[in-house]
Amino acid sequence: MDCNETKWLLNAYVDGELELTRQLDIEAHLAACAMCKKAAEAAINFSYSVRMNIPVYKAPPELRVTIRAALRKESGSQLEWVSQFWRPLAGTAGIMVLGLAFAWTWIADSHDKDRELIAEAISDHSRSLLVGRLLDVTSSDRHTVKPWVTGKLDYSPPVADLSEAGYGLAGGRIDLLENRPVAAIVYRYQGHFINVFVWPAASHVIDFDVQSHQGYSLCGWSKGGLNYLIISELSQAEIEKFEDQLRDRTE
Amino acid sequence: MRRGRADRLRQEDRRRFEELFLPYLDAAYNLARWILQHDQDAQDVVQDAYIRAFKGFHRFRGRNPRAWFLTITRNTAYGWLNRHAAEEKLIPYEEEKHADLILMKEPEHELMSEERKERLQIALERLPLEFREVIVLYELEGLSYKELAATLGIPIGTVMSRLSRARRRLQEGSE
Repeated sequence: MDCNETKWLLNAYVDGELELTRQLDIEAHLAACAMCKKAAEAAINFSYSVRMNIPVYKAPPELRVTIRAALRKESGSQLEWVSQFWRPLAGTAGIMVLGLAFAWTWIADSHDKDRELIAEAISDHSRSLLVGRLLDVTSSDRHTVKPWVTGKLDYSPPVADLSEAGYGLAGGRIDLLENRPVAAIVYRYQGHFINVFVWPAASHVIDFDVQSHQGYSLCGWSKGGLNYLIISELSQAEIEKFEDQLRDRTE
Repeated sequence: MRRGRADRLRQEDRRRFEELFLPYLDAAYNLARWILQHDQDAQDVVQDAYIRAFKGFHRFRGRNPRAWFLTITRNTAYGWLNRHAAEEKLIPYEEEKHADLILMKEPEHELMSEERKERLQIALERLPLEFREVIVLYELEGLSYKELAATLGIPIGTVMSRLSRARRRLQEGSE
């Protein structure tokens, strides 16, 4: 291996992307050639400096919510095959068929809606416990948390101070339920997190007692035009106590 | 009326899709941001990429979700650029002109690290797209040569030479 060949392969060498035999050839050459060795070191340093100094852009937190909403919309479109078949007709008949199909789609009993909502809440809650997904804003001060979440939403969720009852405010984030961005206010109690989802009760007014699914306790109610859904790994009795406290403070 | 079995399957699909691909949201955004050099455009492209990937989910063979999704993000970004090139008449990069700028070196002295940072960033912003994206994918997102070849749709030999030229130009541009 001479300097010319080495020069050609140097980048792949410092990236560790050469086959083993080539890698060893170059190592042998570098041991003998100070110039090439210097070039290899410079290449490593430069690559390192690029990694350290070039900004890596992070997606804004609301983008995740928008994307999940778009995916839900996409996967909810039961009519894809219908529209594909009927698009060419594009006449009254087509529209009527679509209309009927829509009507059929939207008739879902509220029990199903509750079940779907609970499944979503469980998925949101368990996802939020993954590293780095719990909080978009971290603060125990409700005067910090409330304006932050309100700024990201088209409504203003109450953020209660429950510290006297032993529930420390951890912060908040924007999450997704029923195809819309919702406030998730997070409290900490005895080493567990409680997610409180709050969103306008417009299309689906919820009311279900404390219950357990997949190891999580949850309950939901509606008050002042807002739905509240709380979920945690705490026991049902603990969730009930928390519910009482929260209801008292959101009068 | 009960929800149909097909619908439940679709919801399961969506959950599986989200579990597989939402972890690459930051990587996809970073790539789109560097290709388009614009925050809102990058957000639109990434959202579009997720929808396209979801529609093509059945074609995903389970190997390397990151490379698969970054490929889709890149293609979506290119589609976006092509559509807007017609509208905005993108000014082609004139290397000769910029070469002058770049070669006007300041007297050699120890650069402040902030200054060094800024120079590197500007140099990368000014690199032609084909070099910029290979730097972003390799140095920032850590794709292997093989993944680069698949994502960029070029042979490994071309990956090697392109990355090495990209680095040289970036280095020259940031000196």
